[in-house]
Amino acid sequence: MSEAVTLRAPAFRREPGKLWIVPPAALLALLFFYPLVLIARQAFLDDRGVANVAEVIRVLHSRFFLNALINTVSISVAATAGCLVVGLVLALILAFVPFPGSGFIARLIDTFIALPTFLVTLAFTFLYGSAGMLNAGLMETFSLPLPPVDFLYSAWGVILAEVTVYTPFILRPLLAAFSLVDRGQIEAASVLGARPFRIVRQVILPAAIPALIAGGSLCLLLTVNEFGIVLFIGAKGVITLPLLIYGKAIQESAYQVACIIAVVNIALSLGLFGLYRFAAGRLGA
Amino acid sequence: MSAAAFTGTSVMDIDAAKVRGAGSNVHFDKVSVAYGAHVVLHPLTLDIAPGEILAMIGPSGSGKTTALRAVAGFVRPASGRIRIGATDVTDLPPYERGLGMVVQNYALFPHMRVEDNVAFGLRAQGADKALIGERIKDALGTVGMSAYARRYPRELSGGQQQRVAIARALAVRPRVLLLDEPLSALDAQIRRNMVEEIARLHRSLPGLTILYVTHDQTEALTLADKIAIMRDGRVCSHGPTTELYRRPPNRFTAEFLGRANLLPVTVAEAVGPKGFATARHGDALLTGAGRNEKAGDKSLLCIRPQHLSLTADSDHTNRIVGTLQEVHWQGELTHLVLDVDGTPVRVSATRLPIALPEPGAKVPLFFAPADTSLLPEDAGV
Amino acid sequence: MLVWSRSGRLVLWVLFALIFGVLFLAPLAVILLSSLADQWNGVLPNGLTTEHYTDVISGAAGRAVKASLVTGFLASALALVSGTWAALSLRLQGHALRRLLGLLFFIPSAVPSVSVGLGLLVAFSHPPLLLNGTIAIVMIAHFVLISAFTFGNVSAGLARLSPDFEQVASSLGARPAYRLWHVTLPLLAPYLVAAFGLSFALSMGELGATVMVYPPGWVTLPVSIFSLTDRGDIFAGAALTMILVVATLVLLLGLERITKRATGS
Repeated sequence: MSEAVTLRAPAFRREPGKLWIVPPAALLALLFFYPLVLIARQAFLDDRGVANVAEVIRVLHSRFFLNALINTVSISVAATAGCLVVGLVLALILAFVPFPGSGFIARLIDTFIALPTFLVTLAFTFLYGSAGMLNAGLMETFSLPLPPVDFLYSAWGVILAEVTVYTPFILRPLLAAFSLVDRGQIEAASVLGARPFRIVRQVILPAAIPALIAGGSLCLLLTVNEFGIVLFIGAKGVITLPLLIYGKAIQESAYQVACIIAVVNIALSLGLFGLYRFAAGRLGA
Repeated sequence: MSAAAFTGTSVMDIDAAKVRGAGSNVHFDKVSVAYGAHVVLHPLTLDIAPGEILAMIGPSGSGKTTALRAVAGFVRPASGRIRIGATDVTDLPPYERGLGMVVQNYALFPHMRVEDNVAFGLRAQGADKALIGERIKDALGTVGMSAYARRYPRELSGGQQQRVAIARALAVRPRVLLLDEPLSALDAQIRRNMVEEIARLHRSLPGLTILYVTHDQTEALTLADKIAIMRDGRVCSHGPTTELYRRPPNRFTAEFLGRANLLPVTVAEAVGPKGFATARHGDALLTGAGRNEKAGDKSLLCIRPQHLSLTADSDHTNRIVGTLQEVHWQGELTHLVLDVDGTPVRVSATRLPIALPEPGAKVPLFFAPADTSLLPEDAGV
Repeated sequence: MLVWSRSGRLVLWVLFALIFGVLFLAPLAVILLSSLADQWNGVLPNGLTTEHYTDVISGAAGRAVKASLVTGFLASALALVSGTWAALSLRLQGHALRRLLGLLFFIPSAVPSVSVGLGLLVAFSHPPLLLNGTIAIVMIAHFVLISAFTFGNVSAGLARLSPDFEQVASSLGARPAYRLWHVTLPLLAPYLVAAFGLSFALSMGELGATVMVYPPGWVTLPVSIFSLTDRGDIFAGAALTMILVVATLVLLLGLERITKRATGS
C-alpha cells in the first residue's frame, strides 16, 4: 500500500489534449458569458454610460416591474401545476390503459416539443377569440349579442397555452419512468384485490415522483422564460418579465431599464435551472 | 458447433506458418496501480515467456483486469515498469504498444463489415492494400469465418462475433494478445467449444504470447501454460498449470483452482529424500507429498475429490474413515459427502461398489500419497 | 393493464380523447383550417381557398422561409461542431473541471431568449465588435440558444458509448485522430443527427432573441408570422405557420429516416 502511494507516477506523455476544450469554451465565453456580464454592467449605467444606481432602485420598486414579476411567477406556477396534472393523467392512460394507436399518439404529442410555442396561441385565437369558433357557436345558438367566452386575453389564456406547449416536457420523463415499473407487480396487486386507485397511489406514483419533480422544475424554468405565447396573446394586462424587457429595449430604447429587469429575470431563471439540475441529478442517481 | 461446423473448414487445416504471431515476453517490474489512496494492484513482478499463455484468474476486484489494462496502456501504473520484448512500454500510449485485444462484449465496430473490422488495425497503421487483403484472408481463415467477410456484426451470433474479434486482433500480428474475459458473454455450450478453439488457435500460432484474464478456472486449466492466481491486488500464486493444480502452495490456490479437501494434520516425520512426509490426522497415519515440513508442524493435507476411492488399490496406501452424509448421482459422476472427524470431505467417483453404503454408514476412503500435497495451515495468502 | 372493467377503460379513453382533442389536436386542426379559410364569420369557415398560401408565398414569405432555413442551417451546423467539440474535449479534463464546464455549457438553455438577444445588442453595438444590424447577429443569437441542446445530446450519446470501442481501436494501433474519425464519430452519428434536427427545429421556431436583434432585411418565419397577425392578417399568419410546421416536420422525419437507415435499426 505505502509503496504504491509514495512512489510518484512517472511522467506519462504530457497530454496536449487538455487544450482542445479552449476553442468551444472561448466561443461560448465571447458570445454568451461576455454579453451576460455586460447586461449586469449596463444595469448600473444610464444610457449615456454614466453610473446611475438610483435608477436600479427606482425600477425595482416600480409598479410595472413588480406587476411583471408577480405575473411571471404566478403564471409559471399555475401553468406548471396544470402541466403536472394533465401530464400525469395522459401518461397514466398511455402507459397503463393503452389503446390501439396510443404509441403513435404519444409520439405526436412529443413532436409538440419541436414546434414553435406561438402556434398554440394563434390557434387559440381562432378557437376562443372574440370572433372564434366557440364564441361564434355560443352566440348563434343562444342568440347572444356579445361573445360570452373572454378568458383568452387574460392570464388564463397564457396559462392554457403554456399547459399545451409544456405538457410534453412532463410526459416524456413520466413515460420513461412508467416503462420501468414492473407490470408483474401491478398484476399481482390486482390479483390480490387492490383497486386501481390504490395501485396508482402505492405502486405507480412513488416511481413517478422523481420524474414529476424533474419535469416540473423544467416546466417552471421554461414558463418563466416564455416569450412567444405572451407576445402573441398581446393582452394589455398580461406583461411578464421577458415581455417587459422586449418592450423597454426595443419599443422605448430604455436599455438601462431593460438590463435591470434582465438581471432579475436571469437570476430567477438560473435559480430554477439549479433546481432542475438538482432534481434531474437526483433522478439519475 | 465448432468453426468447422459453420464453414466446412477446420481450424487445423490452416497453414500455421502463414499466421504467425511474433511473440514477445511481457515483464511486470514492481507494477502497482492506485486510484487515489485506493491501491488496486500491489507491486507486481511477473514474467510471461514468448509463446506462453498466462491465465490470470481470481475473484472480481482481485486486480487481474487492472494488470491487463496496464499492459494495454489504459491504466497508468503508480510505480514500476512494464516491458514488452525489449521495449519499455510504461510511458507509451496504447496505440504504440503493438498489441491485440479482445474484450468481453467483443466491441466489434457496428458500422463496419466483418472484413473492415479485421482490417481496422492495419488501416489505422497505414499498411498497404495488398497486405491488408492478404491479412484479412489469413485472419478470418484462422478463426473459420472466411464466409462471413461481407456481413455486419449485428448479423452474427455471439460466438461468431467473438471469432471476428479474435481475427481483428490477430490481423495486426500483435506481439502480445490480450484476452479480457473473452468468453464470459457466451452461453455455457458455446463457451466450451470456444475454449477448445482458442487452444487449437494457439497450437497453430505457437509463437503468440497470450495474457488471458478470466474468473473461470476451467478456461484457465484448459488453456494456460501458466496460471497466476490473484487475490486482493496481489499474486497469491504463480506457476505452471499442472504444477499449481497438483501442488497448490496455499489454501486459497487449492480451493480456487478446482475442488480440494483439506484435512488438518500434524507432521509426524519430516520430508524425506523422496519428498514425502508422514502426518497424523486423528488416529490415521498418512503419507503426503511435502516441501520442507518438519515434525510437529501443523499442516493441511490437500486431496482432490476425484483422487479419493471407496476401494483399496495397490498404491492407495492412505486410509481414512468417514461417516457418509449425502450422495448425489450426476450421471457420469457420483458425488459423496462424508464427515471425517468434523471435516467435510467430498468424493467424486466414476466407479462405485455395487452395494452403495447408506448415509450414516462408516466408510473407508483410500488414496495414493502421490495424489496429495501438504500445505501451510495459515488461512491467509 | 391497470383497469380491468370495460366501462372503466372507456371512461378513461374518453377523458384522454377530450384532453388530447382540446389541447393538442384542435390547435393543429384549426391552424390548418384557418390557413385555408376563405371567410370565417360563424362556427366554421364560409368557404375554403388556397389564396392565403399563394399570397404569402408571392409576398414576403418566400424571403422569410429562406431566412429561417439559412439561419437554422448555419446556426445548427455551428452548434453541432461546437457542441460535439466541447463534449469530446471535455472527456480529456479532470473530474472537477469537467463538471464545472459541463454545467457552463448547459447554462445558455436556461437564460431567457429575450435576455440573450439583449446581451448581444449591448455587447456588439460598438466597434470593434459591431454586429448590430447584420445577419451575423441573428445567427449568433440562434447559435447561443441551441448550443446547449447539441452539447447535451452529444454528451448523452458519449455517455452511452461503451469505452471498449475506443480502447480496442487504440490497442490496434489507431492514433487519436484516426480513432475519432473512424470509430467515435461514426458511432455517435445517430446522436449528431438527432442533435442537428432538434437544433434546426428550435431555430426555426425561435422568436424571443430574434425580435431583439433582427436587421430589416432578415425577417425569419416567426417574426413575419408575428407581424402578420399583429396587423390583423391572421389567416395569412396561419398559412405561414402551417408552412413552418410542415417544414419542421419534414426535416425531423427526414433526419430520423436517414438515421434509421444508417444504423440499420
